[in-house]
Amino acid sequence: MSDHVGQKAQASKSSVRTPAEIEDRPPFLGFGLGLRSQHYQDIIDGNPAIDWLEVLSENYMVPGGRPLAMLDRIVERYPCVMHGVSLSIASTAPFDEEYLDGLNTLAKRVQPKWISDHLCWTGVHGVNLHDLLPIPYTREALDHVVSRVHYVQERLGRQLCLENVSTYVQFNQSEMPEWEFISELTRRTGCWLLFDVNNVFVSAFNHGYDAFAFLNGIPANRVIQFHLAGHSDMGNYIVDTHDHPVREEVWALYKAALKRFGPVSTMIERDDDIPPLAEMLDELQHARTLAADVLEPKKGAPALAGSTTIA
Amino acid sequence: MLLPWPDPLRLPKRGIDMTLVAPFQEASLKLKDFQDRFQRAILKGDDEILGHIPDGPRETKQNLLGVYRDAYVLRLIEVLGTDHEQLRAYLGEKAFNDMARVYIASQPSQHPNARWFSRGVPNFLKASEPYSRHPIVGELASLEKALNDVFDGADAPVVHLSDLAAFAPQDWGKLTFVPHPTAMLLDTHTNVAAIWTALKEEREPPSATTRKEPTRLLVWRHEMMPMFREMSVEEAMMWEEAAKGSRFDNLCELIAFYDDAEGAPARAAGYLKGWLEAGLLSKVVSPA
Repeated sequence: MSDHVGQKAQASKSSVRTPAEIEDRPPFLGFGLGLRSQHYQDIIDGNPAIDWLEVLSENYMVPGGRPLAMLDRIVERYPCVMHGVSLSIASTAPFDEEYLDGLNTLAKRVQPKWISDHLCWTGVHGVNLHDLLPIPYTREALDHVVSRVHYVQERLGRQLCLENVSTYVQFNQSEMPEWEFISELTRRTGCWLLFDVNNVFVSAFNHGYDAFAFLNGIPANRVIQFHLAGHSDMGNYIVDTHDHPVREEVWALYKAALKRFGPVSTMIERDDDIPPLAEMLDELQHARTLAADVLEPKKGAPALAGSTTIA
Repeated sequence: MLLPWPDPLRLPKRGIDMTLVAPFQEASLKLKDFQDRFQRAILKGDDEILGHIPDGPRETKQNLLGVYRDAYVLRLIEVLGTDHEQLRAYLGEKAFNDMARVYIASQPSQHPNARWFSRGVPNFLKASEPYSRHPIVGELASLEKALNDVFDGADAPVVHLSDLAAFAPQDWGKLTFVPHPTAMLLDTHTNVAAIWTALKEEREPPSATTRKEPTRLLVWRHEMMPMFREMSVEEAMMWEEAAKGSRFDNLCELIAFYDDAEGAPARAAGYLKGWLEAGLLSKVVSPA
């Protein structure tokens, strides 16, 4: 584990946290990757420098066979978190109870450090559009999502972690910016936040707002995970495709996120044009180096001095 | 006092000006209605939701909504292509995509896991023109679905040939067998096995032929790998009977009726040995 950066930094932050936060905040895991079937064998045969892995929940909500057999071997060796795409937390359709049962069953197997999904909806009327769809940021929607998060947290017996999604449209009836909606959501439910740096970049570009306004609008003490990923620039808009390496502009925003949020478990997502594991490890090493630059104490200065704000 | 309804035309075209939006909140679309319309926009091409979307700073709202519309179809075409790799190779990219679009339009996904979206493809192809006129297309999809299903089907113990040593030879007649839960028989009326194999090996597939009598394909999982092979009529008969819980001596009698009676026990023992070697049985049960 390359967590020396985190241990030092967490120690320096502990003086400004409440005892409750120290108790329930999930641990800093270091630098991880999304587990992809293309890399199973390399991970099992080798001992790659990955601190932790993010497991896509739905890929393992199957009866048995190779996916679960590989998963069992990998969770024995690496700390894992579960990341889903079908919770549909913001949907106005009733929850799929079978899906929640499936999450619980998988969690028993994986013993994840946390379970995350997205602040979005995926369909209504029994349909799943298999996309992370946007919502209007209204007080009505906030009340609705708050009640749903409470329900899921009760059902899973743990705090949920929710991710901001990339969006391509906004809605006239929104009554607050996305970051305010997210801040209120975490304040009212105690859910943790997965801050997807690329998604902030994509949405900020598509809607013409300042990514730093988003960054600074999120309470610093609720973010427990970062996502980094590549996107496709279509000229007038950007699509969150996860099929490229992380872009320079996103690395820059990541550095700013590290300054604001401190050491947060970081992982790189790749879902298409998946390169060999070695290439992903190089990219992950870049994240480590950037984080060390931002978080390591400079000569004569305490760790993170002046760089982290606890909201 | 009457509250003014929000007029989308009066709202800013670029970005959101909260001071303009906030006074009209009472009349804003309820989340449920909003999601109904957004989903209709994606599934049916309905444009009503556009009245609630501002243009982006650089792109029209029509094109931005189009990102969701396109992504929906393209993502599901990709799912279908992954699950039906050989069908895609057989039909060719364009014909496969055309088929996929009709399938996607005809039955939206109803499962939280996209893994299950393609399950209806074989029946869709067998029931829909023009595919139904070409039985090979539906049978190729059926074989791929069976292989997908056994790939991540339920786990169960596997009995090995050496495990039979635990039973005294005089007790063999009483033994019953439990098939591995992934094992399934597929009845086919085309040369689908030969065509699938050629496609898998990236060879030119043979011409499709049809037969009146079914060819029985056994599909199962062995050491994490999906497998299939042809099963003779006699062996398939014994397999189906064994799966119902018939004792080994009854299985021998069954195939004695089918063919040479004298050689039946040896043939039955041969089939059993094959099943054990291929990991097809989960349990061998002795009544006492």
